[in-house]
Amino acid sequence: MNAIVWILWLTATMTFTLTTRNPLYIMIVLGGLFGLGNRLAKERNMTPWVLPNLRFLLTMILLSTLINGLFSHVGNTALFSIPQSWPLIGGDITLESLIYGVINGLVIGTLYILFNTINLALSTKQITRLIPHAFHPIAVVITIALTFFPSIQQRAREIKEAQMIRGNPMKKISDWIPIMIPLLVSSLENAILLAESMTARGFHKQTELQSPRALVSLILAAFMIFSGWILQMYRFPSLFFISLYILGTSLVTITLLTIGKQANVTRYHQETWTKTSMFSAALIGIYIAGFAFLALIGRLSTLGFSPYPRLHLPAIQTLGLIFSLIPLLPILVLHHD
Amino acid sequence: MIRYRLLGLLTDAFVFALGFFSLISPFILPQAMSLSSQTAAFPIMVSLIIMLCLLIMVFEAQSSLLDSKMIAFLAVLTAINAGLRFLENAIPGPGGFSPTFFLIILAGYFFGSRIGFLIGAMTLFVSGLITGGIGPWLPGQMITAGWVGQSAVLVSLLVKQLEWKDKPGEIILLAVFGALWGLFYGLIMNLWFWPFLGVGIGQTFTQTATALENFQRYLVYYLTTSLIWDTTRTIGNVLMITFMAKPVLKIFGRFQQRFSFFTQEDRVQP
Repeated sequence: MNAIVWILWLTATMTFTLTTRNPLYIMIVLGGLFGLGNRLAKERNMTPWVLPNLRFLLTMILLSTLINGLFSHVGNTALFSIPQSWPLIGGDITLESLIYGVINGLVIGTLYILFNTINLALSTKQITRLIPHAFHPIAVVITIALTFFPSIQQRAREIKEAQMIRGNPMKKISDWIPIMIPLLVSSLENAILLAESMTARGFHKQTELQSPRALVSLILAAFMIFSGWILQMYRFPSLFFISLYILGTSLVTITLLTIGKQANVTRYHQETWTKTSMFSAALIGIYIAGFAFLALIGRLSTLGFSPYPRLHLPAIQTLGLIFSLIPLLPILVLHHD
Repeated sequence: MIRYRLLGLLTDAFVFALGFFSLISPFILPQAMSLSSQTAAFPIMVSLIIMLCLLIMVFEAQSSLLDSKMIAFLAVLTAINAGLRFLENAIPGPGGFSPTFFLIILAGYFFGSRIGFLIGAMTLFVSGLITGGIGPWLPGQMITAGWVGQSAVLVSLLVKQLEWKDKPGEIILLAVFGALWGLFYGLIMNLWFWPFLGVGIGQTFTQTATALENFQRYLVYYLTTSLIWDTTRTIGNVLMITFMAKPVLKIFGRFQQRFSFFTQEDRVQP
């Protein structure tokens, strides 16, 4: 799938996971992510992927349950009590707060696994390519750093071996100086060679992408989005903060596009938009639009769940089930491809 | 020129204020603590605002990268530092020990705030790409590491003021600075997810509590969960700077001269 489709999919899955807090929906999302991640890991011949992620998920659930259970004493079903005189944790340990902790752990774990999956799905090249043209010098720095990285690692290994042969025990921090200094010197020598080669090939001057007007536009956009967030927190009418969000986002996009057009970028090995990618993008677009519509008419709360004040079973809706199937889309696409 | 510098300073101040305000909003804005109004969107909104701050800072700082020398220099230094972080992941040291901060601090100290910021932010990004560490935590890590490098310029101003250049006081000041950032880095990074964990923690986060009370609660949380972790980072930074600063700064000085080659075009338009 095209990298942009993966990013759209990431946005959709993340938004749904953070909105619902219904454990059943989150479990469905998790199941899909484990299936997808496992498949991608197998394709890349990686060591077992499911087990470390499962271990992380369980640790997060355990930690979150403990923290929430010990500190939060909200809820009607008291399991046992800790003396009130104990600072911070004194009070009833309630079933509801423990369940809330489990849900928190599930959400954090799902987000972690979601990003682990996206790290598997996208190659370094694809991620670098996603950097906007307005940040062209930065993209060049990242590309060079990634290119140099393996040779620097190799050189570090060679210097370390040479030092060990000479009897350096490599136990104290001071023992690392004979590795760090030659590594730094030889790498910077290479940087000079690279700079000279770049200059000789006419790459001396970068396009000046920074302009005060663009900088002010970006600052203004950030302030708009920030103000929208504050207004939303204080429950101002949605018209105010949604307008600020839209204005801010549009200003960032327009500024970056305008500045990016000035960058001289060579395009090669461009990613193609296959029919499957276009179909997936359209499907995720409909998903996000549907979600935004529900948010606008105030129906998103029906997807949510809170165990407080007394624990009850979470409601299950067809709409929620459909939304929670989003991680399955890449599996179907990969299967089709 | 003065106008550009003023704009740069104002940008830095605005970004710092916006990022810092977003992170500390649970202390000062009662609504940010409300479970019903925030739910889980809080860390995402904070991440988004931090990402915007990062975008502005990088956009502003990249004006230092207008020639091939700076690009090559920054790229190589980033690759070395990312390699050190890779080493940290492969052979985990005790607690939060990380060998990457000393190079960020020294680069910021020697080459100025923009280069310091870029090395900090780029190191975290490149190592994130290599180790598969891309996630919602990355913008926060990038901007905080950027601030580490950017603020190192304050040490250079102090050293200049005290005339401690090439004296033991220079290394002591840098080590103290590294120690402070060892703690601050954890303190700032915790703020990103603390409200998220704390949403359900009734006694830790209450709307009726004052900013000071909530700050005290955060400190208790920090002391019980992160202090040991961050102390090892602090000790690591102090040791790395104490042993490495002098030879590394010497190398920086040598290469600063060697990187000062000009093209004919540069000479015509100084």
